[in-house]
Amino acid sequence: MASISGTAIATFARPQFAARAQVVKGFSGLKSVSFSIQRNGFPSVRLQPAPRRFQVSCAQAKPETVQKVCEIVKKQLALSDDTPVTGESKFSALGADSLDTVEIVMGLEEAFEISVEEESAQSITTVQDAADLIEKLVEAKSS
Amino acid sequence: MSWLLRRNMLPLHSNSLARRPLASPPPLLPAPLPSPRETHLWYVVPDQLKDASLLNQYMDLLSPCERQSVLRMNGERLQKGALLARALVRTTLARYCRVSPKSFKFRKNRFGKPEVEWNKYDLWAPPPLQFNISHTSTMIACGVALDLPIGVDIEEKQRKTRNNILSLARRYFSPVEVAYLRTLADLESQRHEFIRLWTLKEAYVKALGRGFSGAPFKDFTIRLEASNSKQVTGESKSDASRIVVEAVDHPGILMNRWHFALFELNNSHYAAVCMERDVKDPADRENNSLKLEVWRTLPFVEDECVTETAAVKNIIR
Repeated sequence: MASISGTAIATFARPQFAARAQVVKGFSGLKSVSFSIQRNGFPSVRLQPAPRRFQVSCAQAKPETVQKVCEIVKKQLALSDDTPVTGESKFSALGADSLDTVEIVMGLEEAFEISVEEESAQSITTVQDAADLIEKLVEAKSS
Repeated sequence: MSWLLRRNMLPLHSNSLARRPLASPPPLLPAPLPSPRETHLWYVVPDQLKDASLLNQYMDLLSPCERQSVLRMNGERLQKGALLARALVRTTLARYCRVSPKSFKFRKNRFGKPEVEWNKYDLWAPPPLQFNISHTSTMIACGVALDLPIGVDIEEKQRKTRNNILSLARRYFSPVEVAYLRTLADLESQRHEFIRLWTLKEAYVKALGRGFSGAPFKDFTIRLEASNSKQVTGESKSDASRIVVEAVDHPGILMNRWHFALFELNNSHYAAVCMERDVKDPADRENNSLKLEVWRTLPFVEDECVTETAAVKNIIR
């Protein structure tokens, strides 16, 4: 039940940068910046691990969270152990269709004891997105 | 337009697709345009593709951007599937337009639904075709309609879910649909009906073209409704009932703008088609059902019209 163009997922409306835009507001790393070195605008002194090139995030999820998401994804998509799945892996590139995606979301909800809103679920395109969202929800739950 | 393919336009990449000069592919079987209320469905079974040089021919049809997307898929099996999907769309549309499959440009509407970018053709008026594609690992299907939005979804009949069916339904389906699934006594029936309902809901959302968030599954119900109008189609097996969609917030008010077909394809898949009605057409206003023509294809190799065969059965509209 996957669809195209491009891709595999029938849920083709994936506003890829919408989720990013929300997060940019909270980016605190820009407080103390030195632009003496000409770079792409990233501060030379980093308070947190380097953000990935085209993404700005408040805080990236812990590696353990990413790892757990990878496990759940691999299980749902029945991927072999040697199939590389990392934070950067896109669900569509792994062959996940819309039913896989909702099953993955349910698996994540169960594993992390959270509840994911439909709108948030639709903005997840990579494993990293899922992990980041999970940590946000876990944190919101405990605060 | 000629069938002549530019040679050696592929970027170098290390996978099993061999690079050799390509001969012109044989012409595609042309197809007459879909008539009103008619969906044409073309499907390909990846396992039937044994010839690696065919993959090269398909690759050569794609735009550079499409090629990159194909190669970004994780692993050869997924790459082959993605390649076949693009080749299927291009060759299918080419049959109706009598142009080279290479010549289409695609874009996404503002919600992300893929569509043909027609304005490239200044000198002639191409038919206003709308299409939608769906795939599983064992089949790819492309539905085509004339000038009306269409959504297609297919799913393997044997698909198993990791989560419990009713849990999935409670999470994603409407209350009416959950209630329906609960009436089914055995788990196998529940699973089958879940899959069929899923394909119908997917096909509707895809026909709407507003993306998953434009029509959350929980907000609408798809079900059977006893029909007052006579079914014109001789081979319909439904007892004068039709598939309808209604908003959860407005039960009983059927969204008649959309009609559906649900059937079994190739004995392996459930397939659902959703198409908008032409409200200007008096025949369509009488709720006449959707017509269906189905072809099995391996582009450039063979085509078979399977509409009246066992490959298409148990049609509900």
